[in-house]
Amino acid sequence: MSDTRSRSLADELRARDDDALVALLRERPDLRTPVPADLAALAARATTRPSVQRALDHLDEFTLQVLDAAVALPDRSTVVAIQQLVDHDVAGALDTLRRQALVYGSDDDLTVARTVREIVGDPAGLGPAAEVALRGYGPARLAGLLADLDLASSGDPVQDARTVARHLSDVPLLEALLATADTGVHEVLAALTTSPNGRLGRADRPVGRATAQTPVEWLLAHGLLIAVDATTVVLPREVGLYLRGGRVHADTASEAPSPVLTEAPTERTDHTAAGAAATFVRLVDDLLDTWASDPPKALRSGGLGVRDRARTAAVLDVDQEHLNFLVEAAHAAGLLGTGGDIDEVWLPTTIYDGWRTESVASRWWTLASGWLTTMRVAGLSGSKDNRGKVLAPLGPDLARSIAPAVRRDVLDSLLALPPGQATSTESVRDRLRWRTPRLFGRLRDGLVTWTLREAELLGLAAGGALGQHGRLLAAGDDDGAVAALEALLPEPLDHVLLQADLTAVAPGPLTGELAQRLGVLADVESRGGATVYRFSDASVRRALDLGWSAAEVLELLAAHSRTPVPQPLTYLVEDIARRHGRVRVGVASAYLRCDDPGLLSEILADRRVTTLRLRRLAPTVLAAQAPADTVLTRLREMGHAPAAESPEGDIVVRRPDARRTSPPRRLPSPAPVTELPTTVLSAAVRAIRAGDHARTVVKRPAGGMGGPPSSPTVDVLALLQDTAATGETLWIGYVDAHGQATQRLIEPQLVEGGFVEAFDHLRQEMRRFAVHRITGAAAIDQPVS
Amino acid sequence: MTDGPLIVQSDKTLLLEVDHDLAGECRRSIAPFAELERSPEHVHTYRLTPLGLWNARAAGHDAEQVVDVLLRYSRYAVPHALLVDVAETMDRYGRLRLEKHPVHGLVLASSDRAVLEEVIRSKKVLPLVGERVDRDTVAVHPSERGHLKQVLLKLGWPAEDFAGYVDGEAHPISLKQDGWEMRAYQAEAVEGFWHGGSGVVVLPCGAGKTIVGAAAMATAGATTLILVTNTVAARQWRHELLARTSLTEDEIGEYSGARKEIRPVTIATYQVMTTRRKGVYSHLELLDARDWGLIVYDEVHLLPAPIFRMTADLQARRRLGLTATLVREDGREGDVFSLIGPKRYDAPWKDIEAQGYIAPADCVEVRVTLTDSERLAYATAEPEERYRFCSTTPSKNRVVERIVEQHRGEQTLVIGQYLDQLDELGERLGAPVIKGETTVKERERLFNAFRTGEVSLLVVSKVANFSIDLPEATVAIQVSGTFGSRQEEAQRLGRILRPKSDGRTARFYAVTARDTVDQDFAAHRQRFLAEQGYAYRIVDSDDIGDLGDLSKPDAG
Repeated sequence: MSDTRSRSLADELRARDDDALVALLRERPDLRTPVPADLAALAARATTRPSVQRALDHLDEFTLQVLDAAVALPDRSTVVAIQQLVDHDVAGALDTLRRQALVYGSDDDLTVARTVREIVGDPAGLGPAAEVALRGYGPARLAGLLADLDLASSGDPVQDARTVARHLSDVPLLEALLATADTGVHEVLAALTTSPNGRLGRADRPVGRATAQTPVEWLLAHGLLIAVDATTVVLPREVGLYLRGGRVHADTASEAPSPVLTEAPTERTDHTAAGAAATFVRLVDDLLDTWASDPPKALRSGGLGVRDRARTAAVLDVDQEHLNFLVEAAHAAGLLGTGGDIDEVWLPTTIYDGWRTESVASRWWTLASGWLTTMRVAGLSGSKDNRGKVLAPLGPDLARSIAPAVRRDVLDSLLALPPGQATSTESVRDRLRWRTPRLFGRLRDGLVTWTLREAELLGLAAGGALGQHGRLLAAGDDDGAVAALEALLPEPLDHVLLQADLTAVAPGPLTGELAQRLGVLADVESRGGATVYRFSDASVRRALDLGWSAAEVLELLAAHSRTPVPQPLTYLVEDIARRHGRVRVGVASAYLRCDDPGLLSEILADRRVTTLRLRRLAPTVLAAQAPADTVLTRLREMGHAPAAESPEGDIVVRRPDARRTSPPRRLPSPAPVTELPTTVLSAAVRAIRAGDHARTVVKRPAGGMGGPPSSPTVDVLALLQDTAATGETLWIGYVDAHGQATQRLIEPQLVEGGFVEAFDHLRQEMRRFAVHRITGAAAIDQPVS
Repeated sequence: MTDGPLIVQSDKTLLLEVDHDLAGECRRSIAPFAELERSPEHVHTYRLTPLGLWNARAAGHDAEQVVDVLLRYSRYAVPHALLVDVAETMDRYGRLRLEKHPVHGLVLASSDRAVLEEVIRSKKVLPLVGERVDRDTVAVHPSERGHLKQVLLKLGWPAEDFAGYVDGEAHPISLKQDGWEMRAYQAEAVEGFWHGGSGVVVLPCGAGKTIVGAAAMATAGATTLILVTNTVAARQWRHELLARTSLTEDEIGEYSGARKEIRPVTIATYQVMTTRRKGVYSHLELLDARDWGLIVYDEVHLLPAPIFRMTADLQARRRLGLTATLVREDGREGDVFSLIGPKRYDAPWKDIEAQGYIAPADCVEVRVTLTDSERLAYATAEPEERYRFCSTTPSKNRVVERIVEQHRGEQTLVIGQYLDQLDELGERLGAPVIKGETTVKERERLFNAFRTGEVSLLVVSKVANFSIDLPEATVAIQVSGTFGSRQEEAQRLGRILRPKSDGRTARFYAVTARDTVDQDFAAHRQRFLAEQGYAYRIVDSDDIGDLGDLSKPDAG
């Protein structure tokens, strides 16, 4: 290894102190499980593509901008150079990058890890460096360009390209050159500043300063645009940087955007959110109550069918989106599950019975905390998956592992607002996007919007600010949240206002028992802070069917009304009671019909018929509880000759039962990435160091033909990656496809996905080697020629 | 936040507790934007509808005011979504404006280009607009002004009409306030209407809507076309105008089946306007016969569809709609809003009653038990015949006789739907019958005799539902009606609401057959009045003797 080359990452890590290594393991948790054997292994793992991707995903926008600037520069650049490209203090961001081993080296000798360069590619939409872009030009064309730029050609294309690049980096020169250009040229440049590639027919046409006609040709003639193939021209990085005023990003996002604030009086927010919370609890209760007696079928895929959705939304008077959230929230809280005998149906679970008896506030807590931790995303229902299938609520494809974390983040942003202030969805979204711009895709974007909307529906927040109970819940104080909500909800009332138009208005929430009884006696017409009930023939009859008497109904009304019961209502109740039960319907399994009442009397008197449970309905008709065939058999045994009648007129009994199913298996929440205590991390670092020490004292296997080298896979991988960066030649042992152990001389180019792309000196061609078949590797000091 | 009189429900109804100290103040604050839906004794229900909110915008209220009122008077927290919805709905009004344009005459202009794009791409709007004047303006055929407004309302982007009105041919008219005075609410109604330019005034039956019309004419000081339901109503309008204004016999024309006069003030009937000969409306020229400055629509809730179509062409003229109930059984309230105009004034019945301008009324539903043979016949009747059968059942006649007997000496009307029934009742009660085929002359004679007390009992068909002024009628007995029509019930009650000279309470009987569809329809019919605070008592026909004297107002 010569001195001009930058140190390898492994060496750099070896030079770090323990604290720095602890910090690395803390900030890139994937590096520590399992604990790497030694520092070479740590360096190898830290530069794998997935690990780097992961590290970049968790960087904020500013750090990424600094990284872009570092990538825009060649290796061995300096802090000062980066600072110039960002035009802001980069020390903090650069420390983060170095701590995470994405960039390493001292302030005036910075190297960007090779994998990082590969992943970032052309930073910030800048084109390739002129030197790279000019590789497509033949020597003649390059010479022509140099001549047009009044530069001398050296005859070596690489050297010439470098000359052009240096020329383009000269800011005063560019400035002077562009001052002579016409407006057309500036328009083209303006368009290419943010997207450096342009499509152009015959892009590789020969142009010279003398023959240039159009603005594009003028630019090509001056090297400000470079044709990379027959149809594409590109703006070289040097020119792009000049056009951006010497900065990589036009806007430096040095800080998270500050939240957009609007006034939201705390008291109003608290009460509005509490009102919404009570409404939500009521809606879930209504939903489950409806489904208990009339459960919707579960689709074969597990979801809820379109028709059932529409029907239930109509019953609850909510829109489709609201309903999706209601059912998902009930499901997340364990109140709803599938069950049923023949067809799978959605039913309230046994937990529901207990839940119903709790106070509104604690019922709300059950729903809200279920929502906080569920991975299922109600907002996705109705959208289409990759195959164009519509996702149904309660269906299987709604779980997203990031959902709880994003919800948390959104609530934390609301929690961080100053008291009495609300913010907007856009503002929250912008802040979260700044924090992890690489992760912020469509799903996160949607999740932010849905979380805010759902938090309002659930009554955690109102108008873009958390209510008091919502704050406490978000801060993890569950008991405090329940108590706060309890205090915000209005006291239940024990009276209603009865009116002559056959309505009753409960001017506030009613006590549980009264609400339940009124719910039987009258139909709810309007809900909200108050409840409007309407008495009708059907509703009063419903109460009488449950065994109430007219007197009981009127007594209940009188007891809970502050004013006398209006005459029309009294009349209605009495009128229905008068007609109620005049026609009676009963259940019988069989009947006996005979024109001779005497014969029926005789049968009825016989002791042998007691098990048939006969009853006389009319002189000529008996009803039996026993099934028809039993009755027939028994009568025949008694010496009668009964004839069976066709079954028409038989009453089929079906008693609708409120059904239940067992609670669903809760999906385990994803294990949060917990902060490991420093002691644990330090122990890991000690283990790595120990492994490293052990490795470095062992003699490297000697090169030569003394048999295939053999070394641990971790070492092999580290060596392969190092040499892929440097272009050295390796001596490897390789087990070929026939199981034959062979030896090869290779020049690794790219290590990715368990394979090495390398030049094989044996075969004189590029080949792919499987890393797991390489039995060992050793460096060769002399390049093979 | 926990002691206001108002409860805002999530379904956009507002419940106002009337016994609350702030109830009156709150009522005045919410009245401009919320529609009173029902007003029984304890809790009044208002509803926030897009029409109501746009009405408020038309009257110059903005969303901030509405939200502020709701928050100020609300007892509980107002759902956030509802406030957002109110703001969004109100924001839709006025995004589109109908304006005069020096070159293109009438244009539709918008401050929101996206909205303009959205509406002119609609298939329904396309044929109504002309060329694009600029990016924010599109020309409108002047004849399509009304139609366009109708369509835009349906699309949810009601246009504000700034195109103004033609003054019409000037014709001085003044009120002759000798021995009577305009009531405060009438003056407010006229003021509200005139300020808004066009619109509807809602006042209970008997609260003097004619005076509002006359005062509006005086304010306009222009030739006026008055559209009324029938000839008798036309005569009554004429009579009132002669008595209350400076107009003379020669200045008022009647345009009806009988006469075709066109004078500075012309009163025409809906019927003659909608008469078609060979499929063509033959009297349309009346609308253009003069340069009318004002058009008055009496009983606007009955306006027939053809008149709506004609009205669409009259958008440049001031239009005043008068009605007791904006309830339309056909649900065309939106057309009234876009073609006649927004509601400009509304007063609850009980308020006017409290001021003494309409008589208090006692409503009683008398339930008649059918005989066994009648019940059997009812049970076997064809479904479409059932209502007719049970509402005209002979048992009712005996009950009606008894009620009439009880109120002997009081001016009594028996009102029904079916002519056979009315004829039979007339015969049994020895009273004259007025029905569709009765000549106008005969009708007027009988009504006059009734007014003077010469005749104290009249049997009338639905011809007397509207606009018949019978001040001294104190008892009305309804034996059958047009199924569940709420507004018919209200109109019929209105016949007896003129304040009585001795201040007595009017009584309204609705005779229904127990346990039949008659009873169900009756319940529906009563809803509007019950919602206005008229409590129906229900009694069995056997108990009518216990009802007590009318001079002793009794608590239901």
